[in-house]
Amino acid sequence: MTPAEGGSGDEPGAPLSDRASRDVAAGLVLVAVALFALWAGADLPLGTLSAMGAGMLPRSLAVLVGLFGVAIAASGWLSAGEGLGRWSLRGPFFILGSVVVFAATVRSLGLAFAGPLSMLVGCLASHETRWGEAALFSVALTAFCIVLFRSLLGLPIPIAWFL
Amino acid sequence: MGDLFGNLQLGFSVALGWQNLALCFVGCLVGTLIGVLPGVGPIATIAILLPVTFKLDPAGALIMLAGIFYGAQYGGSTTAILVNIPGEATSVVTTLDGHQMARQGRAGVALGIAALGSFFAGTVTTVIVAALGGPLTALALLFGPAEYFSLMVMGLVFAVVLARGSLLKALAMVLTGLLLSTVGTDLESGQARMTLGLEALIDGIDFAVLAMGVFGFAEILRNVETPESRDVVRGEIGPLLPDRADLRRSAWPVVRGTLVGALLGILPGNGAVLGPFASYTLEKRLARDPRRFGRGAIEGVAGPESANNAGAQASFIPLLTLGIPPNAVMALMVGAMTIHGIIPGPQVMTKNPDLFWGMVASMWIGNAMLLVINLPLVGVWVRLLKVPYRLMFPAILLFCCIGIYSINNNVMDVALAAFFGGVGYVLIKLGFEPAPMLLGFVLGRLMEEKLRQALILSRGSFATFVERPVSLGLLLAAAAMLAIAVVPAIRRGRDDVFTE
Repeated sequence: MTPAEGGSGDEPGAPLSDRASRDVAAGLVLVAVALFALWAGADLPLGTLSAMGAGMLPRSLAVLVGLFGVAIAASGWLSAGEGLGRWSLRGPFFILGSVVVFAATVRSLGLAFAGPLSMLVGCLASHETRWGEAALFSVALTAFCIVLFRSLLGLPIPIAWFL
Repeated sequence: MGDLFGNLQLGFSVALGWQNLALCFVGCLVGTLIGVLPGVGPIATIAILLPVTFKLDPAGALIMLAGIFYGAQYGGSTTAILVNIPGEATSVVTTLDGHQMARQGRAGVALGIAALGSFFAGTVTTVIVAALGGPLTALALLFGPAEYFSLMVMGLVFAVVLARGSLLKALAMVLTGLLLSTVGTDLESGQARMTLGLEALIDGIDFAVLAMGVFGFAEILRNVETPESRDVVRGEIGPLLPDRADLRRSAWPVVRGTLVGALLGILPGNGAVLGPFASYTLEKRLARDPRRFGRGAIEGVAGPESANNAGAQASFIPLLTLGIPPNAVMALMVGAMTIHGIIPGPQVMTKNPDLFWGMVASMWIGNAMLLVINLPLVGVWVRLLKVPYRLMFPAILLFCCIGIYSINNNVMDVALAAFFGGVGYVLIKLGFEPAPMLLGFVLGRLMEEKLRQALILSRGSFATFVERPVSLGLLLAAAAMLAIAVVPAIRRGRDDVFTE
């Protein structure tokens, strides 16, 4: 690294590409969380310090979170640092999707169907998946879970809608 | 002293019942298993098995859950040594010298010394827990709301200081956790706070749901994203028992590691995670030839491994005596206790002595079991480690889903955990560490309660926190830790510890 490059980091208003955009985004997210909490708890009474109302702590915490957000975003704006990095959509989408599929189907279809279904949706997240293997494995593991959790441990989880 | 032995005797009579022995064994085995598997931690496992413990008696339930926790510390080191990836966060340092030893064909010795060191640490810490239980409980009974509040402030500050990366971000995470803990019905006025009209949020956010989302699911998301490279040792494991020279080299590191780990583990705010790092740094400083470290020095395995086991067990002390969970696993223990109608805190020891001492005694029995089951099973673990992640993550997903659903038989919980999984992923990507947030959440409700009580007693004056000497002392300690962490020189040192 040449000296010129090394020095640019600490000057305010670093070139746009060098700014710690990750910190700027992080701070803004906190500000958003704070504003959301203030909005959601707007109707709660504050009370006094000797007799705190339900809203006192949530509101003070939300304000503090917001202030920290501003500080983090500002320090990110003024200094060089890490960028946003690579975000993938496929992984989060299918893995969280698989959990949602499980939530949506376990009551209506039962574990015997919700299990393989949600596992296969989860498998879409990885490009290393081999489908034949995954299908077999999901059925076998679901059967194992039914025996373990329902038969042996006795959890009241629905197995199938017709049972 | 006679009292201590009488108590331990009571404990062993509880822990040696056949049912509790079996539960302890199951806990240790499951714990080792998930410790070995990277990407499945004790938090997710305990959350999954929480519903199973509903039907057990409280002592048995806690004995099993405790077994999972310290069993995982054992298992984590196996993976660190054989595969060069930490099975658990606390075994990061073990990868440095442990895997080098494995490369030199001394994997067996590394595993053996890790197990022996852990056993020694477990034994000593069991005695420490038993000995400190009484005095600390007496101290806790003298605590008023102000002291409790200040103690928790200190715990949170400590968690912030321990977090990696930016202090600002860690502080923001603690505050966010506290904010999340206020969601739900206000205990004093009965008002619904920030529930957005959702029925699922009336009782607040379930800790198991939050933890599973932020730790369980987010971890899978991160692992699927990065292509896997596992370097399972193929060659000989070699003999398991260390020879005389190895033992002589490891003896003092084990003793020092145990003390360091136990001391840090007692502190509220999850000091246990620092134990292995501190021990490694200490051994390197004390070594006659520090260059051996990182090239398969047995001290680099013996010390940190003892420290991590001692820390894991010592972290039960704040929970059992003060009722303050120092980390996420202990918070789940609180859940398991409250389900059985036991409120963690100083009164546990007087009201449920069989439970308290039974658990303490079971720790020693569990450690002995781990020593016996762990070494012969190394072959099984090696084979298990060859299961590719493409099969492992769907399995973990299914187990997690079944676990969350079973806690309250509620599908909304599962959906909420998926939401928090997304939140956890975003947090990791933005460079936030989720651990301080979880601790803030864990302590939030108790802190609010104590804060309100203290302010009612002082008629709204914050001066009460600095006028009471114990409270002032705790706050000063917190301020000192924060100040130390901000000093640039020490800050650099702190980064070194984490990057080493």
